Amino acid sequence: MKKWRFGLLVMAAFVMLVLAACTNSDPDAAPETDADADSQEEGEQQEAAVNEDGKVEIEFWHAMSGGGQESLDAIAEGFNESQDKYVVKPEFQGSYEELLTKLRSIGGTKDAPALMQVFEIGTKYMIDSGYIEPVQKFIDEDGYDLSQLEENILNYYSVDGELYSMPFNSSTPVLLYNKDAFREAGLDPEKAPETFADVIHASSQLKTDEMYGFSMLTYGWFFEELLATQGGLYVNEENGRAGNATEAVFNGPEGLNVFRFLDTMNKEGTFGNFGTNWDDIRAAFSSGKVAMYMDSSAGIANAIESSPFEVGAAYIPHADEVKRHGVIIGGASLWMSKGIADEEQQAAWEFMKYLTTPEIQAKWHLDTGYFAINPDAYEEDIVKEKWAEYPQFQVTVNQLQDTEPSVVTQGALISVFPESRQQIVTALENLYQGADPQQVLDEAVEGTNRAIEIANQTNQ
Amino acid sequence: MSTIREGAAQVPAEKRPGVWTRTRRGRTALLYLLPSFILFGVFVFYPMFRTIYLSFFLTDQRGDAAVFVGLDNYRYLLESAAFLNSAKATILFVLYTVPAGVVIALFLALLANEKLKGIGFFRTVYSSTMGVSVAAASVVWLFMFHPSIGMFNRFLALFDIGQIQWLLDPDWALFSVAISTIWMNTGFSFLILLGGLQNIDEHLYESAKIDGAGYFYQLRRITLPMLSPTLFFIITISLINAFQSFGQIDILTKGGPAQSTNLIVYSIYREAFVNYQFGTASAQAVFLFLCILVVTILQFKFGERKVHYQ
Repeated sequence: MKKWRFGLLVMAAFVMLVLAACTNSDPDAAPETDADADSQEEGEQQEAAVNEDGKVEIEFWHAMSGGGQESLDAIAEGFNESQDKYVVKPEFQGSYEELLTKLRSIGGTKDAPALMQVFEIGTKYMIDSGYIEPVQKFIDEDGYDLSQLEENILNYYSVDGELYSMPFNSSTPVLLYNKDAFREAGLDPEKAPETFADVIHASSQLKTDEMYGFSMLTYGWFFEELLATQGGLYVNEENGRAGNATEAVFNGPEGLNVFRFLDTMNKEGTFGNFGTNWDDIRAAFSSGKVAMYMDSSAGIANAIESSPFEVGAAYIPHADEVKRHGVIIGGASLWMSKGIADEEQQAAWEFMKYLTTPEIQAKWHLDTGYFAINPDAYEEDIVKEKWAEYPQFQVTVNQLQDTEPSVVTQGALISVFPESRQQIVTALENLYQGADPQQVLDEAVEGTNRAIEIANQTNQ
Repeated sequence: MSTIREGAAQVPAEKRPGVWTRTRRGRTALLYLLPSFILFGVFVFYPMFRTIYLSFFLTDQRGDAAVFVGLDNYRYLLESAAFLNSAKATILFVLYTVPAGVVIALFLALLANEKLKGIGFFRTVYSSTMGVSVAAASVVWLFMFHPSIGMFNRFLALFDIGQIQWLLDPDWALFSVAISTIWMNTGFSFLILLGGLQNIDEHLYESAKIDGAGYFYQLRRITLPMLSPTLFFIITISLINAFQSFGQIDILTKGGPAQSTNLIVYSIYREAFVNYQFGTASAQAVFLFLCILVVTILQFKFGERKVHYQ
């Protein structure tokens, strides 16, 4: 009996130990949070994190993998060596969505990174969150000249005349096509189709047993772009820029045009559906399974390199009866945390300024294919050389600079964009299965409206 | 029980023992149970009650309960075509994966139970899928299902059969995910079933042989009844696993195309961590919990009757 009870006791002790270990599993993090609590009680003034060399150290959360990450690491290293007061530590946090999820749980605390990269459709969420310091504050204090940056990019991230975040990696959609296939089909490889009707016509000629005429990644972004280039709004209240959007309006004639355009080709059998994965559609293009597709401008370099044929780049198509309005900026921008030490904010600001210099932007543009947000970068020699070799890059820059600034091409501001994009994906998938274009659009609007309604209800 | 006797000795004979003393046994028992109460409380009951609590609210962008809506989240779910579709997909997925998975594992276990030279090699191979993580296995299958460069489509092309859009055609996607899931789960089921087979007493087979029973007669009258506790365990675990499948969905289809593989667990994830609607996500979680509970109870009620315990 005694022995049995002793055994139980030991077990209980063991369990308690495990429990203690669980609650305190991260020995590094624990003392830090204690210290935070103390410092917050003592006063508003936050201590900056200073490393052993006496430099102010800040974290920079980003979502760039692969080549983008390498380039970004090199840029941060360059910054750290360029001056002796600040150290920026870039940390890869997964996809844009994953980064935002982590941010949601840590945002507003002192553990939040000083600098973070958030995708364009997270803009409204970030502004509403209260976690961030608008960069406008530093622009004003520092007398930073914004006019040197690309106006069409700044437009997206400006709300009520205030710039909330520093644009960083910006991309737009572009129509890529297989010039060799155009020649074989008897089409002019130097003249890409411009309107929906042109694309429909070209894809019926390009279609062979092996190759589809046209494809588009099943992703909400492309729909938003095709809508905007016709001048269509995504949500009411001037795309959410004049006030809080309350309703989605993308099921109007412009939205329907897009869905009919895709539906026509799908029914004719000239549209290839390669799903929701970027790599799949890119592989399909470079292996000759589709002759035309829409990609991000950041994908051009890769498309040219991995395709065994000549690749053409063109503006994205628009409906025949309307004129071209241009494109919305995609990509991400850099946000600064609120509630951290002044020196840390200053470090973040210095890094932002460094990033927007023409030399760094030129390097970034060539490494990744993202836009240079500072157009002076295009005057750099390395850019000129590369453009001479790959004129496709220039098409995307021209397309952006031809864009007419308006609330349409500024892009919609809603906090529930990820959910809305999911609705569009479902609508497109149903469309490809033969559903009615108007009906699937209406369903997507309904789903988006519910999300907007809940967001407005809970954020009062 | 020496403590009790010692305790009793301290109480004066003429007085009835007080409440404190009388509950001594109960208190001792509670003390021993305390650790598991704490563990369960922190890691099971608190999250569970929190989920139920959240399911009555709409949450704001930080995921805090913001607006009380009563049963509206549940009402919305039951009226929502998307959720009913998720429920249907989940049931189909369970039906695709559980019976096939168990039968295949049983078949392999019966094969590997034979005493042959080099059988160890086959036993290792058959159970090897257990050592592959869901993520790694899904990526491998992703390549095999690939529309342009996938192995399956190339194989079909060899025989001039039309190409199948494995993961892009809503009619095929759930089936494709089910195939890869069966493959992933077979290793574990195989190993447990093989263990069960090895535990069956050899003498039973020897006596049956002397009586002139054939292989299939032995299988039906000796192997399956003796294996039934293991089979019951495997079926229960497979069912619960199937209901909770997540990783392969996330990697292979992300719930698409056209919601055809949006199983309830994946739908919960998306609602909670993409859309940040913890309220509706919690309501779905409660719903899934009730489903699994009912299925498990039914199984114990009807399935266990057939189980033969030694």
